Formats: sequence, structure tokens, C-alpha cells
Amino acid sequence: MTVSMNRFVWAFFCIFATAWSLAAQVPNGVELAAKQELVRSNGSEPETLDPASAESVGANQITRDLFEGLTATTTSGQTVPGVAVSWKQTNPTAWVFTLRKDAKFSNGDPITAEDFVYGWRRYLDPKTASPYATTLAPFILNGMDVAEGKKPLSELGVKALAKDQLEVKTPFPVAFLLDLLSNTQFAPINKAVVDKFGKDWTKPGNMVGNGAYVMKEWRVNSAVVLEKNPHYWDAKSVVLNKVSYLSIEDATADVKMFQSGDTDYVQGLPPGSYEQFKKSHPTDIKNGPMLGLRFYALNNKDPLFKDVRVRKALSMVIDRDTLASKVTADGQIPAYGVIVRGVNGAEVTAYDWAAWPMEKRVEEAKKLLAAAGVKPGTKINFTYNTDQYHKKMAIFAASEWKTKLGLETEMENMEFKVLLKKRHDGEFQIARHGWIADYNDATTFLTLVQCDSDANDNKNCNRKAEDLINQGNQALDPAKRKALLTSAAKLVMEDYPMIPLLQYTLPRLIKSYVGGYFESNPMDRFRSKDLYLIKH
Amino acid sequence: MPYSIPKSAIEIAPPPRSPWLDARQRFMRNRAAVISLAIMVMIALVCLVGPWLSPHAYDDTDWNQMGIGPTWDHWHLFGTDELGRDLLVRTLIGGRISLTVGVLATLVSVLLGVAWGSVAGFVGGKIDAFMMRIVDILYAIPYLLIAIMMVTILGRDFYLVVLTISAFSWMDMARVVRGQTLSIKSKEYIEAARAIGVPTYRIIFSHVVPNLLGIVVIYTSITVPGVILTESVLSFLGLGVQEPMTSWGVLIHDGANVMESSPWMIWFPGAALTLTLYCANFLGDGMRDALDPKTR
Amino acid sequence: MWKYTLRRILATLPTLLTVITVCYLMLHMTPGGPFDSERKVSAAVLANLQAKYHLDLPLWQQYLFYLNNLLHGDLGASFRYADWSVNDLVAKALPVSLLIGGLSMLIAVIAGVLLGIWAALRQNSWVDHTLMVFCNIGGSVPSFVIGPLLVTVFALWLHWLPSGGWNEGEWRFVVLPVTLLAVINLSTVGRVMRGSLIEVLSSTFILAARAKGLPVSTIVLRHALRPALIPVVSVLGPLAISSITAAVVTETWFSLPGLGKLIVNGASNRDYTLVLGLVVLVTFVAVLLNLLVDLAYALLDPKIRY
Repeated sequence: MTVSMNRFVWAFFCIFATAWSLAAQVPNGVELAAKQELVRSNGSEPETLDPASAESVGANQITRDLFEGLTATTTSGQTVPGVAVSWKQTNPTAWVFTLRKDAKFSNGDPITAEDFVYGWRRYLDPKTASPYATTLAPFILNGMDVAEGKKPLSELGVKALAKDQLEVKTPFPVAFLLDLLSNTQFAPINKAVVDKFGKDWTKPGNMVGNGAYVMKEWRVNSAVVLEKNPHYWDAKSVVLNKVSYLSIEDATADVKMFQSGDTDYVQGLPPGSYEQFKKSHPTDIKNGPMLGLRFYALNNKDPLFKDVRVRKALSMVIDRDTLASKVTADGQIPAYGVIVRGVNGAEVTAYDWAAWPMEKRVEEAKKLLAAAGVKPGTKINFTYNTDQYHKKMAIFAASEWKTKLGLETEMENMEFKVLLKKRHDGEFQIARHGWIADYNDATTFLTLVQCDSDANDNKNCNRKAEDLINQGNQALDPAKRKALLTSAAKLVMEDYPMIPLLQYTLPRLIKSYVGGYFESNPMDRFRSKDLYLIKH
Repeated sequence: MPYSIPKSAIEIAPPPRSPWLDARQRFMRNRAAVISLAIMVMIALVCLVGPWLSPHAYDDTDWNQMGIGPTWDHWHLFGTDELGRDLLVRTLIGGRISLTVGVLATLVSVLLGVAWGSVAGFVGGKIDAFMMRIVDILYAIPYLLIAIMMVTILGRDFYLVVLTISAFSWMDMARVVRGQTLSIKSKEYIEAARAIGVPTYRIIFSHVVPNLLGIVVIYTSITVPGVILTESVLSFLGLGVQEPMTSWGVLIHDGANVMESSPWMIWFPGAALTLTLYCANFLGDGMRDALDPKTR
Repeated sequence: MWKYTLRRILATLPTLLTVITVCYLMLHMTPGGPFDSERKVSAAVLANLQAKYHLDLPLWQQYLFYLNNLLHGDLGASFRYADWSVNDLVAKALPVSLLIGGLSMLIAVIAGVLLGIWAALRQNSWVDHTLMVFCNIGGSVPSFVIGPLLVTVFALWLHWLPSGGWNEGEWRFVVLPVTLLAVINLSTVGRVMRGSLIEVLSSTFILAARAKGLPVSTIVLRHALRPALIPVVSVLGPLAISSITAAVVTETWFSLPGLGKLIVNGASNRDYTLVLGLVVLVTFVAVLLNLLVDLAYALLDPKIRY
């Protein structure tokens, strides 16, 4: 082990030693309510509660309470030990995790390293056909090959060295592995239970997990009710006894239920209502930046948008400050690059013209358009999926392009799936897009603009930037990696492949008597075990 | 001596009256219906002419006047929406769309429904069974699917919106008309017409349908709000009018979401729609009463 | 009449088959598939997903496969809700919709008939107009306005009732949704009843009854009501069908786990099996209700014979 490795390991020991005691840390002097039952909304019905296949935010929210991986994320956004009590990095691409001795499944079975191996293999098994497999697979050795069926499951880079020792191998140094592993896709699964119940293992009564809670009831399209898991290793610091996740699709209905006292926690606010609730519910309103980017994809292969000058002009004239402060008005931050604030692994980059006054930007943009031969009155086509929020932003953008550049925007709204298909197939000129980070590292955003990336609908390619990214991924020194990825981001954005607009935030309404919620959780990964109800 | 009609008797007899004149007189006696007609005509005129008189265009955004309530400055008499667009103009433009869609789609579905239902009910037997099975089939197919398919294949022309909506609204009328036809079919005057050899199609169109008018008129005025609301649901799903064009249904839907913070956004278009629909209902009832040959 | 009923029931099968075939084709022709998502699924995984759900077979084979399962009462596995079969989902949503739809229809019919009769008897008076204004609330004000109003008044201001949710059908959660649907249905029933009764009241046989000096109640209840109910019954069929299977606005607003929401979400998610399963259910419901309506005609009008 090199010196830097030692420091590395010690750093982690220190962090987790303090963080270890952070589960449901109730501050001194806070009196807890007698009834510790939380009722909260969870958006639309989860598509599955099988942690391997859970893709949506709502589904993962619940699986995070039902299962626990090697590491976990607290409500303040820190990565802490989960089932793994300690770990060390034996070489840049290999880690060994030591599991705690008292970790058990909810049916009393002890958790061993084999359960992790089984769980991971099952997650990436093409037969399980998890739609989320290829998102996290690239970071485990042979993960992609296994997920695509090119290599057998046994070749996956995870091995049980002993009953409580798990070895994980990665194809290249993954600095954010610990954060990645807190995803419940990497949770241990009880093989006996899955073998016994087959497809029905996720039904209430059958499901066995290792999280702070077990599933008591699952009323489809209505509610998922969880109860405290007595076998959980940290059960003594879990304060909430019962958590009910209600499926509420309409955001306005959600807020009404909050106002009438039927729920304690609103998952997402109706668009445009943040300012109003900030005034009417000052102690309940919560907001914080999230690792997500709102942007408009540009079809780089379209005859009109082939010219970088046209793309640059469109990006320059949009007043992102007005967009953030007046149009969306919910605390979002203007974005001028593909990397958002708070993400690890790269710095936020911005265009030099971002600091210019708007008149100068408009003048420059007009020159660019003229040079590219695009006359005022040209029609451009904008596709977006039906949603109040997106509509508002789109109308703003269209009016900016019209008043400042004289371009006529034809707006086409459509159903989400139809938009996805059009975007993937390249049948658009400008399309609304948004991207939420899958893990806390810059590469999750860089895939949006990388050559041959599945997530790149712009179909742009900058080989030089690609090289920089590859070099960055191989770099051992985190600072060097950060520098390389940052220059790659800046370089590729100079091609103006897309128009970055705003960084997502998480505006919510949570009753002031719900404690333990922090607004600084950029990945939006909350666990009910960290929450508690104050006496009210 | 041969009997001859005294001249005076002919002179005394009142001139023949057309049934439409009778109907109009009866209609005028129904105050609610007359007032409703007047209001509806006024609304239609205002929606037609109003936007030309307004200083604002319906898609003029004004980022400094976002979401303000009704006020005299800048002539924002109804206030503005969350993008700074004048609500008065948008309500009027929306009225144009809603009224046009309402009238056209209702017309299509009434014509189709009456024709289908009366033929099926009158002819009976296997043809009736077949025609009604087709109605059953159309009931069972989820309208969202049809709407998505029609828009994807045929495009988003305004007339297609009308067509799509009529496609879902004619079945109810057909069923109601068929039911009523079954009842009329066995009446004496139909028997009489058959006895003198009137061909089937003439019986249907000259004897059955006029006696259906009462229920058809009522059901038409029930169809109109349904059509306008269906249009708003379709627009909400992205299958109807596109931004920046709007309709009452879309305005109300958007307004319902911000009812607490910006009540004017729902009050004005909502009042316009409710008023129009109430008038349509009263008008419908009034027309039914007027056209009923038995009400003297 | 029994022969007619039997014939109608048998005729359900070709209807069902046609509906399934049409929907099946429409679903597959609509752009977007069940596995299209933001994170593009890799080709290998997509192939596996399609194999799992038999989407890789040619259309006609999938179709026959589906029909075969259908004959065994198996509606298939949902694409979107991977943990549940379509049978599960439909079975859970049906009681909710039946309760809400059924109750609201009952209330709407009773209230609508009574109000319609009263208004018809006082035709063109201020009583008539007032009653019609009340009846028409449901037909003139959109449901997505009445819903929020009900919630604001009863849940937020008065705190009498919850503003949404479904606690396994506890009565408190049923009141507001049923009220909303009943108010909407009331307008149709009331107006049709009124118009129809007015028409019947001017028939010669009613004139004869009046000439005989019969009291109004007897005239209305014994003589006029039956023929007047025919259009009302015609209207009940479609109303009942839509209240049970298409009450999307009510279900979304009050967060009820019913059939309407399930169909709309299924179509949006391109969940082929779920949509087809629901279509099968809706066809049965539609056919059954239309049959009942047609049989009711025969009860009401002795001259209607099948």
C-alpha cells in the first residue's frame, strides 16, 4: 500500500467513525411524539419493490427502507457504513469489505458475504432483466459483459473471501464506489426466500429484506405500509415505528392531503407553487439543490443545427436568471455547463459569455446567426412532454428566441413515451430533457455528451474530450482526475451540443414536527430510519 | 241541392300556421330559454370580435407582469397568467376554440348518433344487433388509445381534434335514440304509415326522427359540455390544441392547479364556461319544449 | 325474453374477440413501447425483457398466446408493475370502482328522477328553473373544479372528511368521491327525466287519466312514469359504464386505486397486458349493463318485444 492509500483508508475510518453514530440522531432536548408513525406521499405507484429492478425514485425510496447495502447514505447526504462495518482498498481496483457480525435478514437469517454475491449476480443477471442493470454495471469488473450475457455470472467482480469478507473488483479505479454501493441494487438477497417464492417473493408476507423496516402491507395504487424490523442491526436507533407511503399521482391532491393533515410529507410540489407555499407555510417548506440538470437536447445532425454557431446563438440568448427567479421560481440555479454544483469528480464550468450583459449576448448571437445564414422568421421545432412545468419553461425559451432572434418556435407537446422515442430516434430539432444523477460523480453527467453513449440524444462527438475522460477514469490521483474531467467537460461544451438551463432542486412540504430531514442531500436519498416525529 | 261551403266560413277560418311559427312562439314564452339564447349569442360575438379589440395578443408574454390579479393597468382586466399573458384575451380566444369544437363535434356526433340509433332501433333484428355490437365495441376501447393513435397517424390538425372527440361522443346518442325508437316503433301512426306502404327509410326520417327530436335536443345539450371537457382532457394529454393556442378547458385545468394563489385564473374562464353551459342547457330544454308538437 | 338474453350473452364472445383484436393492434401500432425509458436499456437486456414477456415473437403468435391464456382465465403479467399479475391488479381495482361508481349511480338516479319529476310537474315555473340550475351544476362546472371545491370546503375548512386516499373503503374516504360523481351524473339523469316526463304528460292517455279525475300522484306514478323512464334508462347504461370504468378525474383527485386510473396509466406506460385485461373487463361490464338496459326497456314498455 502506498502512502496516499494509507491516508485514504484512515480518512475513511475517521469519517465513518463519526458518521457511524448518525443514524436517527435525535438532538438533545428534543421531545419525541408518543406516536411515531409517518404518513407520506411517494408520487406514483412504484413499478416494483424488487431492489434489483427498482428504477423510479418512488420505488427506490421504499427499497432503501427495506434493504441495506454495504454502505448507506444518511439524510444529510453522507455515506456511512451499512452492512459493511469497515473496508480497505487493497489496490486501485480492488476493495475488501468486512461485514458486521450481527447483521441479519428480517426472518432472522444471518447475512453472509454469499448473500451479497447472490444479490449482485441476480441484479446483473440478464434473466432478471433489470432495466437498471447497465446503469451501474460498468463499475464492477465484468459487470457490463455479465449484464449483456457475454460472460457467465461467476465472472462478476465480486467474491466471498470468507463468511464476513467480501472482495469487490472494479475495471478501473472508481473513486465513488462507496457512494455507488449505497444503492439498494447492491443489497444482499436471501436466496432461499427467492427460490421458495419465485416471482411472488416481493409480496407482503413473503418478502425478506435486511433494512430498517419490513413490508407489512402493499395495497396496490394506494399505499405501502412498513413496520420496524426487529432484526435490524441498528434497530435501537430507529425511532419511527411505522411508515406509510401513499401513491398520490396529482401534486395538487398531494398538497391538499398535507393541508388537511392526512399526510406529513409531500414528495413534490405542483409547478409554480413554491413561492406561494414559502409564504403560507414558512416552517414546513423545504428546498435544496439536487444533482440533476434541466436542459434542452439539440439534434446535432439536423441540417439547421449542424452549424455550431446556430446552437451557440440559441444558448446565449436565454436569460437563465429570469428563468430561475421568475419563471420557475423555486430556487433553481442557472446552469451553463453539463456539470452541476455539488457533484464530485469535476468542477462546474461556465461559458465566458455567461457574465456578459444580455444586450452584448444578443448582439453576438445575432451576428452568429447571420454568419450561419439563418434569417429571422426561420421556424424551429420544439418537442416536450406534457407537463405544466416543462410547458412554462418552453414558452419562456420560445419567447426569448422570438423576441431576441426573431425565430418562430413551433411547440409540439406529446406523451412522455412518444417523446422518448423521438429523442432516441433523432426525430426532433430541440427537445426537452432532464437528467438526475445515478451516483455522485461527474461521469453520470458526462455520459450525456459522450460519443456513442446511450444517453446522448444530441448525437454529438468530441474525440479529444473522450480521450480526456478515459484518461481521467484511469487516473489514480483524485485531483488529477478532477482536472481531466473538468477540462473534458469544458471542451465538449464548447461544441454546444445541448443547452444547459437549470439545476434541479427539491422543493417539498414537510411538517415541522418531522425531524431528521436535511436540505443538503443532493442525491435525494432519504431513509426513514433517520427521521423522527417531534412532540406537537 | 249540392252542398257548398259558405264563402263566409272560408273567410272566417284563420290562415294556416307553420309549425315552426308555433314553435317560435312557445320558445319565446320560456323566459329562461330566451335569456340563455341572448347570452350565448353575446358570448359568441365577444369571443369572435374581442381579441381584435384588445391591446394584447394571446401569446404576448410579459415577464414583469406575471401572475397579477385583475387590474386596470395595461388593461389586464382579468389579470395575467403565470407567464404574464393577458387572461382576458386568452379567455376570449379560448372561447373561440371551445365554442367551435363544441358546435362542430356535437353536430357530427348528433348526426351520426341519430342516424345510427334510429336505423338500428327501427330495423331491428340482426342488423340492430350488429350495429349495437359495434357500439359496444367502441365503448370498451379506452379512448386514450384511440386518441394517441389518431394523433400520431393523422397529425394534429384542428379538425382532427374535432373528429377525435366526435368519435367518442356519438355512441351515447345512438343508444338513447335507439331506445326511444324502440318505443316509437310500436305506435299507431307508424303502423299506419307502414300500412299505406311508405318505404322504410321515409318512415324513419319523416316519422320516427321528428318524434325523437325532444330527447335528441336534450341529449345534444348534454353532449356539448361533455365535448368541451373532453377537448380539455385531450389538450392536457397533449392531443388537442397546442400551445400557445388555448381553450376554456385548458385554461380551467391550469387554473384549478393554482386556485388558492391565483383564483382569478380559474374564476374568469370557469365563469365563462359555466355560463355558456348553463345557457346551453336551458336553451336545450327550451327548444325541446318548443318543438314538442304536443305542447300547445 | 330468455332466449333473447341467452343470445345476447353468446354474442358477447365475438364482441370480446373483436375488441381485444382491435385494442391489441392499436397498442402495438402506437409509438413507444413498454420498455422505453430515460435510461436506455442495453440491447441485451432489452432482448431479455422482450423474451420474458414474449414480445420477440411475431405479432400473431403473441396474439394467439394471449388468447390461449385468456381462455384459462390468466390475463398475463403486467409489464410495468413487475410484481403483480394483471389478474391481481384488476381484482384489486374493481371493488373500489364498483363501490364508488355504484353508489354514485344509485344516488344520482334516485335524486335525478325525483328532481326531474318535480321540475316536470312545475314546468316553466321558478321551481322548475331553480331545480334545473341545481341539477345542472354537474353538467356545467367541470369535475376538476368541483373536486377541489369539495375538498377545500369539507376537508380543509371544516375538517369533516379526509381530502383523499382509500383506507380499504372506510366510509369517510368514500363520501367525497361519491358526491363528486353523483353530482356529475345527477345533471344528466335529472334533465332527461324532466324532458321525457314532460313529453309523456302531454299524451292522450294521460289526458284520459286526468279526465277521469285521477290524482296527480297516481297519474305520474302509475301511468306516466314507465314510458317516461325509457330515455332515462338508456342514459343509465353509458353513465354507469363510465362511472365505473372511466372515473379518472375523480380517482386521480382523491387518489383512489380504481379502474380509470389503471387504464390511463396502462395506456401511458404501454403496459399491453394490463390494458388488454382492463379492456376485457370493461367489455364485460359494458355488455352486461347494455343488456340490462335493453331488458329494462321490455319491462317498461309492454310493446317492446324481442
